Amino acid sequence: MTTDSIPVVRTTCQGAWWRGLPAGLAAFVLLALVAGPAWGMPQEAAPEYRALPFISSRVLMWAVAELHLMFAAFVLAVPMFALVIEFIGYRTGDKRYDQLAYDFTKLLSVSFSFTATLGALLTFGLLVFYPALTQYLVKIFSWTFLPYVLLFFLEAFFLYAYYYGWGKLSPRLHLFIGLMLNLVGTAIMFIANAWLTFMNTPNGIDDMGNLTSLWEAINNYTWMPINIHRLIANVAFGGAIGAAYGAFKFLGAKTLAAKAHYDWMGYIGIFVAICALLPLPFAGYWLGVEIYAYDQSLGITLMGGTFSWLFIVQAVLIGNLFLAANYYLWLSMARIPGAERFRGFIKYLLGVITLCFIVWATPHSLVATVEEARAMGGSHHPILNVLGVMSAKNTAVNLLILTTYVSFLLYRRANKEATVSWARIGNWIQFGIFAVVVIYVVFLGVYGYFVDAQTRIGLSRPQVLSVLFAMASVTVIDLFLFKNAKSRGEIVWGKISARSQYALFFLAITFTWLMGLMGYVRAGMRQHWHVYGVMRDTSVDAFTPTLGFAGGVVSAIVIVFFLLIAIVFFLAGLSGRKDWTPKSGSRWNEEETTVSTEPA
Amino acid sequence: MNLFVLLGIAAVMVLIQQVLTRWIQLNRIAWLGIWWVALWAAFSYGINPPLPNSIIVLFMAIITIALMAYLSADNEELEEARQSIVRFMVAQEYRIALVIVLLVIPAAVAAWTYASMNEAPQPPSSGRTIHPPPPSSITFAGNSIDLATANNPYRELEHTDEAAFAAHVANGRRIYFQNCFYCHGDNMQGAGMFAHGYDPLPANFNDATTIAMLQESYLFWRIAKGAPGLPSESTPWSSAMPAWELFLTEEEIWDVILFLYEYTGYEPRAQGMPH
Amino acid sequence: MKQALQIFGFTIVVSVFYWYVSLWVPQKRTDPPEDIEIASDLTIEEMIPIGEEIVAGKGTCLTCHTMGDHGTGLRFPDLDNIGAIAAERVPGQSDVDYLAESMYDPNAYVVEGYVAGMPNVARPPIALTDQEILTVIAYLQSLGGTPTVTMQTTLQWQGQAPAQDAAPAVAVGGNRDAETVFTTYLCNTCHSLDGTAGAGPTLQGLGQRMTRAEIYEAIVDPDEVIAEGYVEGVMSTMLNANNFYEQVSTSELQALVDYLASM
Repeated sequence: MTTDSIPVVRTTCQGAWWRGLPAGLAAFVLLALVAGPAWGMPQEAAPEYRALPFISSRVLMWAVAELHLMFAAFVLAVPMFALVIEFIGYRTGDKRYDQLAYDFTKLLSVSFSFTATLGALLTFGLLVFYPALTQYLVKIFSWTFLPYVLLFFLEAFFLYAYYYGWGKLSPRLHLFIGLMLNLVGTAIMFIANAWLTFMNTPNGIDDMGNLTSLWEAINNYTWMPINIHRLIANVAFGGAIGAAYGAFKFLGAKTLAAKAHYDWMGYIGIFVAICALLPLPFAGYWLGVEIYAYDQSLGITLMGGTFSWLFIVQAVLIGNLFLAANYYLWLSMARIPGAERFRGFIKYLLGVITLCFIVWATPHSLVATVEEARAMGGSHHPILNVLGVMSAKNTAVNLLILTTYVSFLLYRRANKEATVSWARIGNWIQFGIFAVVVIYVVFLGVYGYFVDAQTRIGLSRPQVLSVLFAMASVTVIDLFLFKNAKSRGEIVWGKISARSQYALFFLAITFTWLMGLMGYVRAGMRQHWHVYGVMRDTSVDAFTPTLGFAGGVVSAIVIVFFLLIAIVFFLAGLSGRKDWTPKSGSRWNEEETTVSTEPA
Repeated sequence: MNLFVLLGIAAVMVLIQQVLTRWIQLNRIAWLGIWWVALWAAFSYGINPPLPNSIIVLFMAIITIALMAYLSADNEELEEARQSIVRFMVAQEYRIALVIVLLVIPAAVAAWTYASMNEAPQPPSSGRTIHPPPPSSITFAGNSIDLATANNPYRELEHTDEAAFAAHVANGRRIYFQNCFYCHGDNMQGAGMFAHGYDPLPANFNDATTIAMLQESYLFWRIAKGAPGLPSESTPWSSAMPAWELFLTEEEIWDVILFLYEYTGYEPRAQGMPH
Repeated sequence: MKQALQIFGFTIVVSVFYWYVSLWVPQKRTDPPEDIEIASDLTIEEMIPIGEEIVAGKGTCLTCHTMGDHGTGLRFPDLDNIGAIAAERVPGQSDVDYLAESMYDPNAYVVEGYVAGMPNVARPPIALTDQEILTVIAYLQSLGGTPTVTMQTTLQWQGQAPAQDAAPAVAVGGNRDAETVFTTYLCNTCHSLDGTAGAGPTLQGLGQRMTRAEIYEAIVDPDEVIAEGYVEGVMSTMLNANNFYEQVSTSELQALVDYLASM
């Protein structure tokens, strides 16, 4: 087992340009110092592993890989919605959107350098600590490095062009550069994903581990599912971090205008994150199916065996995500006149969310003392058992999604009063759709207990489709219902409590922690293999650690990530500052003002 | 479910809302506290058989988070709650109540500590996987048996040759009472004469979550390989189930499986997805 | 600044809370399966029993070789007294070298009257390590001779085998084609395709002799029907030893039967 990682061979000094070069060099020197003792030892042939004093090399590589991944996810995700927002601004001519897109983009350049630096660190680390594994992967994937490096160079070019060219190029050209940035970024991720999915589900090799088909090695069982899963998850993650930036600036804002702008930014960010969160369970489901298809025992290790408790922790995280997202929407209603009307609904929504949360977090195998087991008459509880299985959990997650949607719906119509003649009927139709879909989803969940497993797995599809149908049809009705609606007053951006901004931080931290945890399990399910079924991990770190240990490492990674992201926020904030001027009028004054107002 | 307890809790809640509030104005914090206690009582005493403590802790943690979210979801309400706490702390009229609260909290902690220190020693609880995934095939007496497709070869006799089927069941009964009943009990409730000495307890076949949800091939695996054949997440070292392949023939194991289903009245799970 | 510190404190609190959740669930560490360690300072006396164990177990030698009255195999030379024979079998080659060559490059010299077909035991699926082979040599030398090999003996073939940790297990549950399966599990070691006799019956014209169902049975349960003149248990032991039954998927088995029926 290694880390969540992409064995990235980043020869990227040219990619990071002047920014990445010194950082990369510094990282290299640092690493040379750290690994010095190991290199100094007399070498007998090529060692398979090298160790570090004080910290296990696996944990170090784990942290570096995960941090690299988080920054990479951020750098890939932000251009996606920045481009969309910029496009909206271009079409509507509304300057606010343009400004918002630019605010998101400001976070990119420093993050990009961090990504490159961490990638370089990861590469050096793999070479130093896992030379045999690295050598093997390089042997398999040598032909993919060239396009990777080329793409990385293009990524750097488009990214800086997109950032520095803001407002300086024609809007169409700028949008085109943004599009290219996204395409190149996605291609880079696809290549890196090939390397790491190969480690989980190797393909295209013979019994001796020699490459027979590079394309099959790339297009292995989990490559496409991981590509899609990561693409969506990146957007959710990027949105959440962007929202955290908005919250950070909001709390520090002095003027009402700034408060309004950053409140809006936080709202948009979290809106993007939640929208991307909703389809994520289905992408994850596909990934799971492919893992089972590749090797049953790999699937069972993941879902039923060693890692089954990890998914209870995951349920706690996702339950918290939904709870916090709804909480933020409820608090956001404070900025809308007329929202008081919907206050009363909150407790019912909260009740449903809590119930679903409880169902989702109920484990299938219980932790019970002997006394308790005797009282239950066995190791399974007759009632909890009903909640611990797939049918109940699928139903719970579908209802969670629907409840979040209802919260959003209430938020959306908070200051609106329908003026169309059929308003009353329209409301009833919407309510009817919800009622029918909820009953249908619950019915399918209950029905699942009475059919065999094969049919039960098939039931999740109509559940999902009916929820999607409800959300789509209600949205369409809502659009017509509130056409020319009477307004109870404009949304007062910036009129919101500090608590809500902490909810945004909470969401960002929870997203990050969740990403760290799932990264761990994706790599961890290989257990004592570097490349599953092909290359054994024979290092001292071949064991799978306890969940508590893994949780500790993930927590540490998350804290370090936020320290680094704080630096990104700080640097991004500099560009908004006024030019530095000496206290008293001196002769430096004139020169200072001619210096560029764009410290990056 | 313990309906009386649940109804009692609901009745008390209604009483508080309808009657008590005529004399005392309850603010939101008090209400949330009442809800917390009511739900805790419902989980602890309203469900029969009682929930394991670990589950109650999990549920109450979620509910605590949810109630806190509710308290703070509205600015005015939160401000009101904050002020009422401040009032309680500083106003003269609540001085006695405040003293009582300040005494009760440490006393409750002390009582809880005392109680937990005086509990009878218990073996540590563990998250043991009860029904681990079976291997795809096992070797029985030199033959490989594919667990995903193996069927009880005598099951079909039920419809084709009832006499022969009855003979197999009778043989299974003999084998059960010669070998299994010491632990699994004469009523198949996992309460045989040796059962009290074991942790984990012998399986209770009347429980709808044991043989009723398993395929016959799964039972064959468990009987043939016993505890030594369990994967590590199911702590093979703690189970006392012998590997019966050393004592019984293949036919005898299939017979005893027939008897288990016959006696409990359950149907084996159909072939298809294994567990 | 104060703001930033507050937010950072909040980050730590939330992260630690999730850490606590992950500590709250049952904690279990999973260790990798253990390999038998062969220390490099074994004495010859210690090497012999290990070698004996490997010959009977992991090496699967006794599926084809006999050892006096031990073993099911009949198709390859008897190993009783091999320690005495090895020194004289090939002129100019020491007994250690001869035994080593027989394992690393088995078909370089084939004893008269026998058919070539033994696989290189240093390669998968048997995949003995160099150290394990040394212990096997020590054991074989002890049969009718005096062991001279030690753990420090170097052989010209050493190092050609992949190190044990990197030994690729066969990719499991895939969709390999029939010919790959056929060669992966070394069917051709015993069954010829051209009519010559081997440790098992030739497969030439199999489609005319047997129905698909019979071929299926002959693979899944080889001991049910044994071709005349051949020994029971060889094929099942061999296939069990190289994990054929655990690794071959249903579709691969189907493909293999089709392939054989077309012979």
